[in-house]
Amino acid sequence: MGRLRQKGKAGAAKAYVTRSSAVKKLQCSLADFRRLCILKGIFPREPRSRKRANKGSSAPTSFYYAKDIAYLAHEPVLKKLREHKAFAKKLARALGRGEWSSAKSLEENKPVYRLDHIIKERYPTFVDAVRDIDDGLCMIFLFASLPSNDKIAPSLVENCSRLAAEWQLYIMHTHALRKIFLSIKGVYYQAEVFDQTVTWLVPYQFTQNIPTDVDVRVMLTFLELYQTLLGFVFFKLYTDAGLVYPPPLDTKKDEAGAGVGAFSLQEVKHVQPSTAAKSKEVEVDGKRVSSKDVRQTIKTIAASASGDPDVDMPPSEFNMANEEEEEFVAHPSTANPEEAASLPTLKTLSALPQSSSSKLFSPYTFWLSRETSRPIFEFIVRSFGGRLGWPASSGSGSPFDESDESITHVIIDRPVVEKPDQTEEERERRRRRKHVQPQWVVDCINAGKILLEDLYTQGKTLPPHLSPFGDRADAYDPTAGLTAEDIGMYEDEDVANEEEEQMEDSDEEEEVRPAQSALKAAAAAEDAAALRAAELEAEAAGVDYGTFEKEAKKAQTKSKKIEVPAEGSGEQDMNKMMMSNKQRKLYERMKYGEKKRTAERQNLEHKKKAIEKEKKRRTKS
Amino acid sequence: MAATDAKKQTKKRKAAPEDESPLPSAIPQNVGLEMLSDDEGTDGEDGSDGEVDEFPEIDVRSDTEDEDEVDEEGEDSDEDEEEQEEEDDEDESEEDTDDDLHIFPRARTIVSNITGQPKRVYPPIEPDYDSDSSTEDSPNRVGNIPMHWYDDLPHVGYDINGKKVLRPARGDELDKFLETVEDPSSWTTAFDKKAQMDKPLTPQELDIIRRLQENEIPDAQYNPYEPTVEWFTGKGKEEVMPLSAAPEPKRRWVPSKWEKQKVMKIVRAIRQGRILPSKPKTASTQLQFYSVWNEEPSNQPAPLPAPKPRLPTHAESYNPPEEYLPTEEERKQWEETDKEDRERDFLPQKYSALRLVPAYSQFIQERFSRQLDLYLAPRIQRVKLRIDPDSLIPKLPSPNSLRPFPVYRALQAAHEGHRVRSASVSPDGAWVVSGDESGVVRLWEVIVGKEVKRWTFKGKVGAVEWCPRTDVNFFVVGVEEHLHFLIPPNLSAATLTATQSLLSPATLPPQPATPSPIKWVSVSAAASSSDAPILTVNLPSSSGLPKQLVWHRKGDYLATVSSNETQGGVWMHQLSRRHSQAPFKKIKGSVQLVLFHPSKPHFFVATQRYVRLYNLAEQKLLKTLSPGIRWISSMDVHPSGDHLIVGGYDRKLCWFDLELSDKPYKILRYHSRALRSVHFHPTFPLFASSSDDGSIQIFHARVYNDLMTNPLIVPLKILRGHQVKDGLGVLAVRWVLRQPWLVSAGADGAVAVWCS
Repeated sequence: MGRLRQKGKAGAAKAYVTRSSAVKKLQCSLADFRRLCILKGIFPREPRSRKRANKGSSAPTSFYYAKDIAYLAHEPVLKKLREHKAFAKKLARALGRGEWSSAKSLEENKPVYRLDHIIKERYPTFVDAVRDIDDGLCMIFLFASLPSNDKIAPSLVENCSRLAAEWQLYIMHTHALRKIFLSIKGVYYQAEVFDQTVTWLVPYQFTQNIPTDVDVRVMLTFLELYQTLLGFVFFKLYTDAGLVYPPPLDTKKDEAGAGVGAFSLQEVKHVQPSTAAKSKEVEVDGKRVSSKDVRQTIKTIAASASGDPDVDMPPSEFNMANEEEEEFVAHPSTANPEEAASLPTLKTLSALPQSSSSKLFSPYTFWLSRETSRPIFEFIVRSFGGRLGWPASSGSGSPFDESDESITHVIIDRPVVEKPDQTEEERERRRRRKHVQPQWVVDCINAGKILLEDLYTQGKTLPPHLSPFGDRADAYDPTAGLTAEDIGMYEDEDVANEEEEQMEDSDEEEEVRPAQSALKAAAAAEDAAALRAAELEAEAAGVDYGTFEKEAKKAQTKSKKIEVPAEGSGEQDMNKMMMSNKQRKLYERMKYGEKKRTAERQNLEHKKKAIEKEKKRRTKS
Repeated sequence: MAATDAKKQTKKRKAAPEDESPLPSAIPQNVGLEMLSDDEGTDGEDGSDGEVDEFPEIDVRSDTEDEDEVDEEGEDSDEDEEEQEEEDDEDESEEDTDDDLHIFPRARTIVSNITGQPKRVYPPIEPDYDSDSSTEDSPNRVGNIPMHWYDDLPHVGYDINGKKVLRPARGDELDKFLETVEDPSSWTTAFDKKAQMDKPLTPQELDIIRRLQENEIPDAQYNPYEPTVEWFTGKGKEEVMPLSAAPEPKRRWVPSKWEKQKVMKIVRAIRQGRILPSKPKTASTQLQFYSVWNEEPSNQPAPLPAPKPRLPTHAESYNPPEEYLPTEEERKQWEETDKEDRERDFLPQKYSALRLVPAYSQFIQERFSRQLDLYLAPRIQRVKLRIDPDSLIPKLPSPNSLRPFPVYRALQAAHEGHRVRSASVSPDGAWVVSGDESGVVRLWEVIVGKEVKRWTFKGKVGAVEWCPRTDVNFFVVGVEEHLHFLIPPNLSAATLTATQSLLSPATLPPQPATPSPIKWVSVSAAASSSDAPILTVNLPSSSGLPKQLVWHRKGDYLATVSSNETQGGVWMHQLSRRHSQAPFKKIKGSVQLVLFHPSKPHFFVATQRYVRLYNLAEQKLLKTLSPGIRWISSMDVHPSGDHLIVGGYDRKLCWFDLELSDKPYKILRYHSRALRSVHFHPTFPLFASSSDDGSIQIFHARVYNDLMTNPLIVPLKILRGHQVKDGLGVLAVRWVLRQPWLVSAGADGAVAVWCS
């Protein structure tokens, strides 16, 4: 006989603890526990059997790994939180007694916890950290746009906007931006940093207020973590790019509303150590740069350069750009020194293939109209290599003014207003520049090439703006036009509808009836003899042969279409009897999802058809 | 008495200065005196009549009364002295005002009458209120001893003569009670141990009790708000002398050496920069960033990153294609559904220009809910199945390759709307008998469906079954408590005679030793015709309708199951011996069905939940199969004898491999209502099941001889055509021997033949 097993001493009962017992064990308040969980990234787990994990009780609770909680017990932050609790008591007492000097010294020696070790622990490698900064960036950008109040300190907002600017500066500097999506929620950006796609959402520039049903303390705890994380990530990114972190801020410019322009990127003076760090980083990332990689990269560059015929661009410019690329590939040392210095690193190699599209706007100079959002378009245009100017009403720091001759495009978002009192010079300028709506910029970037401006000129109804991130594989594709068959079907349906209408009419008109019945017989006819009989009948009824044949064919295809799957499905339905219960449930679940998606897609297709039909009708009339 | 009154007055006068005296002990006594006299006014009046002695206890209570008495006693003798004393008292009172604290009487110096010398004369001690009260004697003179010493004894002590002082008699409880009733002041009395009697509480004591109850200071005279007496503060009251005369210690004015050493230690540390006296706060609060990831990462795997939110689709665009915009119904539906149940958290909207796009009102909520997800939602790693759902459906051979099997209804014979409970096909496969609930049994041909003969019985027909023998030709009909043996018409002469001789032999076999309650009644062969049953077996009365008739394959034994639940449900009839017996004395559960094994002397008995397999030759239980069905409705055994199918009212069909296990090899659930009948084809690898949903399901069931291969079950065809009537569908299915044809009997009164 083996050892007697006691209940609750092994297995799930031991591996999981409930939240209340975790709080009890850590001897901290629930708020502190929440803070710790957020900072340490500890989340509840779903045990396989809740009842077993909760020692027989099926009360609804959340479970944590007992190990997680055991590790939390040794957390330095927890210690600091306890110290802070003691500090708060002392401070309250000092204030209550009116001992101002001791309160002040207490306040000065307030326990402050640091999160460095947590960052290191949660993200052992830099790539792990980069992979997880999405949420952090979203929060930073959100808080950068929030007004400060008694819960949100002004310093916090300031720090957030500084971090946001630093991130944008880095993305602009490295041309890492890939995709942009203007959605109703805000602007989605996707960048590629260290081979990781980072997506973040920036709200449109409106003053937001924190609603009452949102717990700000939770958000602030997250923000605390994200600020630290992003600080370390940016430090690493900047130093790897050979830049000084933090970038110095020009307060005068900042006060004038220069935004991102208030920061100035500075190269690190001694380049040697930074390159050494970079080569080390290559090893850390776990990839090797072999000659093969280099050759492949070069090949892709060539392919992309040649396989990207840009019709809209002036040919001379395109060629020039192409030559530039080729030249750069052939003689890397003679190209601009900055890129040459960073050539051996993996980062630049991975960045190279996209260089053609990441410098998309390099030949152009943009002028931003007053009503367009400067922070959005400054960031977009500059990260794709374009030059951008804006009127003084959108903030200071514009590199050129409106009368600059080099301006090729004007991003404008207002309807065309005829100005009779335009001077000749203004009219000339207007003719020379292309006035496009903001969507053009974003669509060009998502398409990876310069699109025709005609569709996007000022005052035009814009083509739909599609998500560059795509959808599920089997989702409805709005770009795919209606196929011929679909149109045929659609016409069929149309005819069928008309037929129905006719049927309704024919209730009164008796003479049409035989013809209809003959056509129906043709539809029902399965073999040649029956078809022949139906034909004869139709002739007798006075239906001409052409219409009869058409009807017959249509009816037959229809009936076939209905029949064929029915037969197959009948057999399958019967085979379903032999499935085990588990398999059947899985099957039903999968089928349910599939059906739902198809229904969704079909709904969209139907709507599209209806819209097309409406359009056609309108154009006809 | 006038003298006593005067005396009292003097006493009062004397008391007045004493009131003012700071000695508190005198105060209550004095007060008590006056109050007592008031209180005991009635007694006093009685006493004034002269009978003071009658109440010695009152005397005991107060010293003053006692003193009065003493005064009265010494009244006559001290008459002249009284006068003098009065004067003395007056003098004394004068003197008393001079010195309150003087308690002893002052000596007088007089010239002695005898000696002529002056002498000091003290006034005689007056046993007055200010005399020592210890001198007065208590009524029981046992001395001032703790009375509890005598608690257990009959006496309360000893008197001065050493005699026991007996405890005074006390009334019993009744007396006590009467006392409490009669005496209105009894509630203010208490038992005095020393006096061994009840004594009313004095007004002072009552006052003290009242004060205690009201949380006042018990002492009525105590003034809590007396003006403070400043003893040490104020002008001229300062202490000039030090409290201690010890000289001032040196440590008060010499600086500490140790303190200096400690301070110097700190000073040195500050000078060396080990301690920063006031740290620059800004530097420490500001986050200092450095490259955390420079050192080698630990070998531990990184914690799983949180799942990223789904990327936005076209619908979220500020300018989506028009088909994404919701219609009016969709919008309404979206608004009506709860926030948690919505498929998307936004409604697609279209704006003609970017400048018109407003702020998204749910932005912060969405961020917040994402954060809640991050730290509150349990995460599970799920393996995503990337399989085609159709691949889950088992691959079975196509039904087309497994022909022949019945596909369509070839013909139908009607029973005029009565439920047809049973049908049976003759062993040559040419004839069908079907019996309905109105008692009609019809005989008809399989191929043409023409009715040849019809019998009508009283009561329902529960079962019909054709004898499997080929040398004779007859069938059995089970109606209420009877089994009728019928010979179909148009038999060949040889078969007819053989049948007749079997069913009504000229010489009856000998009666068995134990007579059976079942009577076999036969018509003589000569008188028999096909119109009436040639042989009738009368089952015991109240046995009910025979639900099932089963022939042994050799056609000699016939087993019946009656619907009545009592014992005697199962009967086994032997044709050759014309004898019936009950095979089971007692059986657990109510028997639903029985079956003969096709090759072995085994017998299946199905109760509601279990199927038991008995060996008839050895008379023992072989196996108990548990199909897991709540109520078994039908059962059939494969012709090979190794497989059994069991159908139940809970829509399940179980396939048992008898060699494999007691548990079903396969459980199928495909009918939407209860199963009613299952049947294996005797020759083809087919079986059919019928159900209350009005459908018949045909299966291909191939059984392999080697034990390794599992039987192959392929669903072939669902035959529909029977109507569901009163919730009942197809009640019986039977295969036609040597043909892949099926005969089905339905509750709608139709009997159909299904052909391939």
